[in-house]
Amino acid sequence: MSTHKLTRATQEPAWVRYGLLTIGLGFLFFFLGLPLVAVFVEALAQGLPVYLEALKEPETRSAIWLTIVIALAVLPFNILFGVAAAWAIAKFDFRGKSLLITLIDLPFAVSPVVAGLIFILLFGSQGYFGEWLAAKEIKIIFAVPGMILATLFITFPFIARELIPLMQSQGKDEEEAAISLGASGWQMFWRVTLPNIKWGLLYGVILSNARAMGEFGAVSVVSGHIRGETNTLPLHVEILYNEYNAIGAFAAASVLALLALVTLVAKTIVEWRMKAETDMLNAELPGEKTA
Amino acid sequence: MSIEIRNISKRFGNFVALDNINLDIPTGELVALLGPSGCGKTTLLRIIAGMESADQGEILFSGAEATHLHARERNVGFVFQHYALFRHMTVFENVAFGLRVKPRKERPSESEIKRRVMELLGLVQLDWLADRYPSQLSGGQRQRIALARALAVEPKVLLLDEPFGALDTKVRKELRRWLRRLHDDMHISSVFVTHDQEEALEVADRVVVMNHGRIEQIGSPDEVYSAPATPFVYQFLGNVNVFHSRVQGGYAEVERSETPEKATAFVRPHDIDIARQPTEGALAATVAHVHPIGPVVRVELQHGGEIVEVELSRERHEALQLAVGQGVWFRPRQMRVFGADNQPKPPSEKQAFLF
Repeated sequence: MSTHKLTRATQEPAWVRYGLLTIGLGFLFFFLGLPLVAVFVEALAQGLPVYLEALKEPETRSAIWLTIVIALAVLPFNILFGVAAAWAIAKFDFRGKSLLITLIDLPFAVSPVVAGLIFILLFGSQGYFGEWLAAKEIKIIFAVPGMILATLFITFPFIARELIPLMQSQGKDEEEAAISLGASGWQMFWRVTLPNIKWGLLYGVILSNARAMGEFGAVSVVSGHIRGETNTLPLHVEILYNEYNAIGAFAAASVLALLALVTLVAKTIVEWRMKAETDMLNAELPGEKTA
Repeated sequence: MSIEIRNISKRFGNFVALDNINLDIPTGELVALLGPSGCGKTTLLRIIAGMESADQGEILFSGAEATHLHARERNVGFVFQHYALFRHMTVFENVAFGLRVKPRKERPSESEIKRRVMELLGLVQLDWLADRYPSQLSGGQRQRIALARALAVEPKVLLLDEPFGALDTKVRKELRRWLRRLHDDMHISSVFVTHDQEEALEVADRVVVMNHGRIEQIGSPDEVYSAPATPFVYQFLGNVNVFHSRVQGGYAEVERSETPEKATAFVRPHDIDIARQPTEGALAATVAHVHPIGPVVRVELQHGGEIVEVELSRERHEALQLAVGQGVWFRPRQMRVFGADNQPKPPSEKQAFLF
């Protein structure tokens, strides 16, 4: 029997394969490729100098800067919470574990606008802590701290979500082995747990970072849109667009798009490294060699 | 170091994993915890290691209270069923781990660590694999590395949880013998958990048979095999034919005493004689199957509604020339009778089988 016939039995007919491929790629082109190209075409419509000029605009630069500051400020909290929550859920059994898992998903379920309103309700001038904060002259709402809080709320599930299945699949044998060999809790974490989850952690960091930089709804509610002070890139894009400043809006949007592309590339590299390393370290048992 | 286990109990929700366990493990002994899965043997081992805490009872190491000692301070070497090697470390680093995490003032120098690790790798005959990662090793090699890693911290007790469970038969046999030699050379107490009776009988000095969170019998391999204390031990260790007095009714009533009482007789397949002629005290049966298995021939006899298993030597089988469907007589040479309370009954003068 020819190999041609053998492969036929396990494959779909050609029209099914090419049909599915066309639908998939067509969808990608119209909904992802085309808009992305459009952003850059619009931004560069009046030439590169105008584009660069638009980016040099002080308000745009402050928006880029604030976006980066918020993303960096959120990161350590997300790592700390993500690792701690995943650790607790994957390695221990305790009361309320399923409640914790459900709560971690809360930001995915709640609309970002509602998330922003929660913080207004808590820290706004009419809010629960409003008077106390006003007395102490601490400004949270319509200021950077509120935007950091809102971003934190939106992004905290990403790292935990990424680590929980990974840590569950790894079990706790290695940790127990480390303890029985005399390691302290910290030694166990740094020498055994962290090296085993590092790629998963990095992947989670990239995802949560992308979300932190792109977040609009929650941040919009608490920001107050003070130009040059509490505008992040997504908010700035909206303002410029509403002012019919197409070049400015698309130039700012192109920066966001670039950040997204960088994230995608980083994500792909990490995914690839993670898979290569996992395959290497979890390789199937080779045949038993008898001495 | 000796281990004393006093009244240890442990529950997981409604499930009783350990029910008032008492056990002494003297220094230098190799003890097997043997039982079916779910009998609590692994839980007991983990409680000794400090990875699980008992609900009540206490553990003494060399006579000193150790119940609340943290796992890292117990100085026990633990070997896991699935090796639990650190997958991102080389074999050398795996074995060196226990030395590297010691507090600074106790930590040996780098050259001393290297010497000790290579010595241990030599002991497990795998020094040529020092630079490999665990994933590049076979199962048997991984388990030997896991042993070397556990021994690196010079534990007083070695605890092994189904150490050969994930390996194939040939490697398992080799490692078993090797573990026995290692234990004798190291002069430490070792406890290993297994569900494999052959493994327990072959390797251990003493076998602790467990079932449903309780200890059924403690004894030398020979004791637990030839003088089982309970019906469970009889059935768990080796093959056995069970005769129920009531079920069999008139023609195979066991241990007929003055007070008719429910009783069960256990007879090992190799303790049964087959004859082609009726003899005194023998039961009639027909040959249902004949399987030659290695050095023995296993014969299944149909006796009433029940199958009786008999093991004959090849020579005996040659002499008998049994054929399927043939009518024969069988007679137990040796048996043990347990009363309704599962307590063994003393051997009686009376003929056990009456017809």
